[in-house]
Amino acid sequence: MTGHSDIHAYLAELEDIPGTRVYTATRARAGYQLNQFAMSLMKPANRDRWKADEAAYLDAWPMTEAQKAAVLARDYNRLLDLGGNIYFMAKLFSTDGLSFVQAVSTMTGMDVGEYQAMMNAGGRSPEGQRSIKGNY
Amino acid sequence: MARITAGVGSSHVPLLGVAADQGKDRDAYFAPIFAGYDWTRAWEREQKPNVVILVYNDHASAFDANIIPTFAIGAGERFKPADEGWGPRPVPDVIGHPDLAWHIAQSLILDEFDMTVINEMDVDHGLTVPLTMMFGAPDAWPVRVVPLAVNVVTYPVPTGNRCWALGEAIARSVASFPEDINVQIWGTGGMSHQLQGPRAGLINAEWDNRFLDRLIGETDELRRVPHIEYLRETGSEGIEMVMWLIMRGALGPATKVLHRHYHVPCSNTAIGHIVLEPA
Repeated sequence: MTGHSDIHAYLAELEDIPGTRVYTATRARAGYQLNQFAMSLMKPANRDRWKADEAAYLDAWPMTEAQKAAVLARDYNRLLDLGGNIYFMAKLFSTDGLSFVQAVSTMTGMDVGEYQAMMNAGGRSPEGQRSIKGNY
Repeated sequence: MARITAGVGSSHVPLLGVAADQGKDRDAYFAPIFAGYDWTRAWEREQKPNVVILVYNDHASAFDANIIPTFAIGAGERFKPADEGWGPRPVPDVIGHPDLAWHIAQSLILDEFDMTVINEMDVDHGLTVPLTMMFGAPDAWPVRVVPLAVNVVTYPVPTGNRCWALGEAIARSVASFPEDINVQIWGTGGMSHQLQGPRAGLINAEWDNRFLDRLIGETDELRRVPHIEYLRETGSEGIEMVMWLIMRGALGPATKVLHRHYHVPCSNTAIGHIVLEPA
């Protein structure tokens, strides 16, 4: 068994990772309409309507004002805080013509060149990045 | 009777599909990655498996946020490459094996693994990139495929132990399929990567290689690695590696390694690849 008998302890651990929003049920529930909005962009006709008037397109979705503002700003860290999931947010940035590396780099405080250089040098070390409480 | 003859582990990074589809797979960036699959391509041509049970995860392609199956098996006749926002990959349709898929699904349910059965779905890079890595760019894929989709996105995802046990049950079900066919099982995804937040770009080559080490031989230590360890050590998307444990579990008590490959980076990700046989 690797099972946790205590879901509360399990979920609490998931919040102890620096710079990371694990996609828990709480986030999935908060972000449900946001993620479904992003998924709607997989249909070409919807993409056309979205590109013609983003704000009007968003108004048809029962999302919070904070979610709508973060979508319009393409603030991906904020979108994750508001329940967005990266694979759904990928529908938004692919519609913008961005690759995963380009979009992901915007969440790190680096520009895309710096981010790619970090990846080419072996990526971000896990040292000091594993636990907020444990600081290791 | 059908038999599982080998297991393959592989990353399924979407950029590998792009590189292959655009003929960039031997350029300076991608050559070290693809070269690590040359051995496997030659080996697959000799092995001629009839069917691959391909364990992967859907990335908001066939399933939206509405329905979240933990373990889903594709029982359709064929599956089309999904449009993931950059257009569908120009690769052949994936031909299913509904007889084997339904046999596995029914057997698993009697064996107390309550599978979701999918008749119609498109398959995304999680499934088509491993086919490309192992078979190149043929006019038609040389195997039938039973897709097995695992939720590794919405928490809790299945435990490593449950994945391993599912693999064991898949092996039992394949062994009772009456046709004499050669079946492989592939576990895909990983290795270390994080696609989100300020910690994005995390790579842990030391941990990844210890994971590969522990797929080999008699150890079953990986059954007991908890989710939080994958998250802390290998990034938020490193959790995909639990899917490799379905493959490992299906190979029985011990394995021997035929081929192994590791490379950093591909896009945001560490590439890992292993070929195993039951020992």
